[in-house]
Amino acid sequence: MKPKDTIAAVATAPGRSGIGVIRVSGPRIDRMVEGIVAEPLPPRRAVLTQFRDGAGAAIDQGIALYFPGPRSYTGEDVLELHGHGGPVVLRMLLERCLELGARVAEPGEFTRRAFLNDKLDLAQAESVVDLIDATTTQAARCAIRSLDGEFSQTIQSLITRLVDLRVCVEATLDFPEEEIDFLKRSDAESRLNTTQRQLEAVLDASRQGSLLREGMHIVLAGQPNVGKSSLLNRMAGEELAIVTDIPGTTRDTIRQVIDIGGVPAHVIDTAGLRDPRDLVERLGIGRTWTAIEKADLMLLLIDATRGEASADRDILGRLPATLRCVRVMNKIDLLPRRAAVEHQRGATTVWISAKTGEGIDLLRAVLLEAVGWHSTGEGLFLARARHLEALQRAQRHLREAAQHMSELELLAEELRLAQEALAKITGEFTSDDLLGEIFSRFCIGK
Amino acid sequence: MQATEKFDVIVVGGGHAGTEAGLAAARMGCRTLLLTHSIETLGQMSCNPSIGGIGKGHLVMEVDALGGAMASATDEAGIQFRILNSRKGPAVRATRAQADRVLYKKAIRARLENEPNLRIFQQAVDDLTLDADRVTGVVTQTGIRFSARSVVLTTGTFLSGVVHVGLQNYQAGRAADPPAVSLARRLRELRLPVGRLKTGTPPRIDGRSIDFSAMTAQPGDEPTPVFSFLGTRGQHPPQLPCWITHTNAKTHGIIRSGLDRSPMFTGVIEGVGPRYCPSIEDKIHRFADKQSHQIFLEPEGLTVNEFYPNGISTSLPFDVQHALVRSIRGLECAHITRPGYAIEYDYFDPRGLTSSLETKAIAGLFFAGQINGTTGYEEAAAQGLLAGINAALAVQGRDAWCPRRDQAYLGVLVDDLITRGVSEPYRMFTSRAEYRLSLREDNADLRLTEIGRRLGVVDERRWTAFARKRDAIEREQERLKSTWVNPKRVPVAEAERVLGQELEREYPLADLLRRPDVTYVSLMTLPGAGPAVADPQVAEQVEIQAKYHGYIERQKEEIERNGQYENTRLPRDIDYTNVRGLSVEVQQKLNRVHPETIGQAARISGVTPAAISVLLVHAKRGFAGHKKSA
Repeated sequence: MKPKDTIAAVATAPGRSGIGVIRVSGPRIDRMVEGIVAEPLPPRRAVLTQFRDGAGAAIDQGIALYFPGPRSYTGEDVLELHGHGGPVVLRMLLERCLELGARVAEPGEFTRRAFLNDKLDLAQAESVVDLIDATTTQAARCAIRSLDGEFSQTIQSLITRLVDLRVCVEATLDFPEEEIDFLKRSDAESRLNTTQRQLEAVLDASRQGSLLREGMHIVLAGQPNVGKSSLLNRMAGEELAIVTDIPGTTRDTIRQVIDIGGVPAHVIDTAGLRDPRDLVERLGIGRTWTAIEKADLMLLLIDATRGEASADRDILGRLPATLRCVRVMNKIDLLPRRAAVEHQRGATTVWISAKTGEGIDLLRAVLLEAVGWHSTGEGLFLARARHLEALQRAQRHLREAAQHMSELELLAEELRLAQEALAKITGEFTSDDLLGEIFSRFCIGK
Repeated sequence: MQATEKFDVIVVGGGHAGTEAGLAAARMGCRTLLLTHSIETLGQMSCNPSIGGIGKGHLVMEVDALGGAMASATDEAGIQFRILNSRKGPAVRATRAQADRVLYKKAIRARLENEPNLRIFQQAVDDLTLDADRVTGVVTQTGIRFSARSVVLTTGTFLSGVVHVGLQNYQAGRAADPPAVSLARRLRELRLPVGRLKTGTPPRIDGRSIDFSAMTAQPGDEPTPVFSFLGTRGQHPPQLPCWITHTNAKTHGIIRSGLDRSPMFTGVIEGVGPRYCPSIEDKIHRFADKQSHQIFLEPEGLTVNEFYPNGISTSLPFDVQHALVRSIRGLECAHITRPGYAIEYDYFDPRGLTSSLETKAIAGLFFAGQINGTTGYEEAAAQGLLAGINAALAVQGRDAWCPRRDQAYLGVLVDDLITRGVSEPYRMFTSRAEYRLSLREDNADLRLTEIGRRLGVVDERRWTAFARKRDAIEREQERLKSTWVNPKRVPVAEAERVLGQELEREYPLADLLRRPDVTYVSLMTLPGAGPAVADPQVAEQVEIQAKYHGYIERQKEEIERNGQYENTRLPRDIDYTNVRGLSVEVQQKLNRVHPETIGQAARISGVTPAAISVLLVHAKRGFAGHKKSA
């Protein structure tokens, strides 16, 4: 690799927190150390020091860590500055790095450099990206698990089963003159079944993990003053944590990420689906409908004291048929009613009070269930789309394989492709490895 | 002394690699010299007297499709022919024949002696002549210098060969032949990377001392299969069966008691033997719980009494060999005519070769056969043919021909060798070929004969026959696509008889043939479907291509996807230690192999996908600054 420029970024999540970390990587680390820390740093040792600006004045006090390459995260020289978490201090520190010749890192650039310097394999690199992206505690836990290689291990055990089966099939094809019955048909069938079931379990766990990473997308709709804001605040809960708060381009759409039982939920608040009055609003509504089309679920909030309005029915009528809708009847505190979930003709209605919090737990459960979340998080894998795709491809080939139990060369082809799909996640397995397995298990050869 | 005759290509060695190499170069119009230490042993089958088998039969068909000698010589010498895996799909079916050693040698020698551009000379080769990094010729044992622009070395197990029987050993090229010690020493001086391998043979047995009534006969297939695309049954000599017997507990006891005098188990032999062709002592040691092993008694020929007991290859001392043979059912009174032995020999790390089988170190020098760490007549013949072709192309100033993995087993063989090297004698299996469904015996001619014609190795007779077959297949496929079967014109009973169900709508015949249980022959009996083609090879091809259609299409897509890697060339003169982003391990591996393409690099063991990404990035930038300093 050619020597590259030096990159810097805030390594901790944006927002207020106890500490904030600036990470710098590249060939000009010496200048950063000289310009900010003003004392030589021993490698891989935490040093409590002052961080200084261009005039020599202290910006902050904190811990500086120097990792000379290649024994560093990126494989390049890396400097980490652990300061206090305030956004102003972090911005000043970052600007100081830029003054000294660094540039702001692109998203994922540290990881990409680590990857290009052979510090990470593809799965690990992607896990790190996931770790950085993880917006909730559970996602962070799952990201760590995948990084540790548990995901890779589970795939590996699946591959081991597949190899067992392939060994028998390939031995039958390549060594027809041996007296060994490599493959009893019933045995092969049951092994294939077991492998298929295991793959399905992994795929299921990965889908859940994918949900964890991507989060669910919820559209919140309803007439003005039915209590959308109070519902949002109520669901966000106390620990929460609005992680990001991105205003839409118009006053009509607000996106928020809240935590629902550990799953990030992107909530699009459709402030009003009224008739467009002016251009700006029409644009906003256009975006709202785009958001609705991408959503997993719509919450239609209805004032229980007034019942469903004709405007609500209009909204329902205009929704895409595939979008699942949950009716939420709010303000039961004003009615003689208890919180409840009703299922009628495929439609779900939840009775709650955003004001008192009654029924909010029921609503959370309904949401999680509606997007297919049914686990406590144990054994989940933070799979990327790439992993899911590979697993699904393997699944398709295993299904095809089951159709060809008596045409061994086609069975073999499907099993090969299934394994190749899985190897995209964990790495190579060659035909020579396969032959090695055959020779180590069976006495072959004249 | 300088020989007066001038040659374009010199082939050293007259085994299966050497004969195909010499014949191919000569067919391409090059003045070719074949040097052998003994004209009597041209085309010798030094191990078991059989040609073909799974994966190997595929190679033989490819050699044949490119005009080589092995398949047609086998048709003239074969005394038992079988199709292995005949009840499995066409991709894994393979032809195998027992050959009469005498007839096979005769058939090969006749081809060599009748090839117009080929000269044969009996003399061992001791040295190569070089001009800087380019080969210019060879020097024989008696100092005769021959010059040529390309030299193909096919020295088999002769390089520093050592034969072991028990703890005794002696230098030999194979039993009863002298080794090539001087040449081996000279090659070692050239600092080509060299390793040591081992292989072995069983003792031979006098057929008059075998009790066949205690064994199971294994006759050839009926009708008798034919090897060559141009062959006929009429060429076959009279046919003989093989015989099957087994080892037993007593045999295993005798072997165990002799292990203390085994050169393998006492560490006298350092070379690595093949796992798929283990000695009997190795089988009994590694699979101790197996009570009995199968042994095939293969006739060595019509005019000799010797039998080759396939399955008891051994290097145990002769007294142990004698006792173990006699412990086997049917061999109680057996007379051994030649002892079994193991042989250790030098091979050159094939990672030092390009995909044309030319050495990277010395231009114009090609290696083929066991010298590259392979085993088997078929693997040798295939490499010999390729080396001969490329030696001739180099002389003619034409681009080398490097078959791809998706084109031929020959491509798989060479790519495996040059990217992964060998850790044991390399043998072909169908599981090595990821495009197995496309690489079949039955379509070897369709895959390769046109290429062979352009290269100049396919003669007029083969070309005419091939073109006729190819055109007939295309015509029939076209007819099946354009002939529609209308349910109104096909009686329900007829549709049910042929298709197993009623025709629900109009279909072209081609679609009906893709259905799993419909054969070409049965489909042609459907009213309005005929007439069928007369040539069974054409009918077979039409049917197989229809059955595998979906798979072949999918493999084509896979091949296209990988095309980017295969077509991205890596410069020869990169010093990978200068390429940042690669781990030291990967740098070392790439520096050892110097892959020609990213595809080859990806197949080197230990080269990670991350490293391949790095290489792709650098390849885009043209590896600026990474060239070796001159």
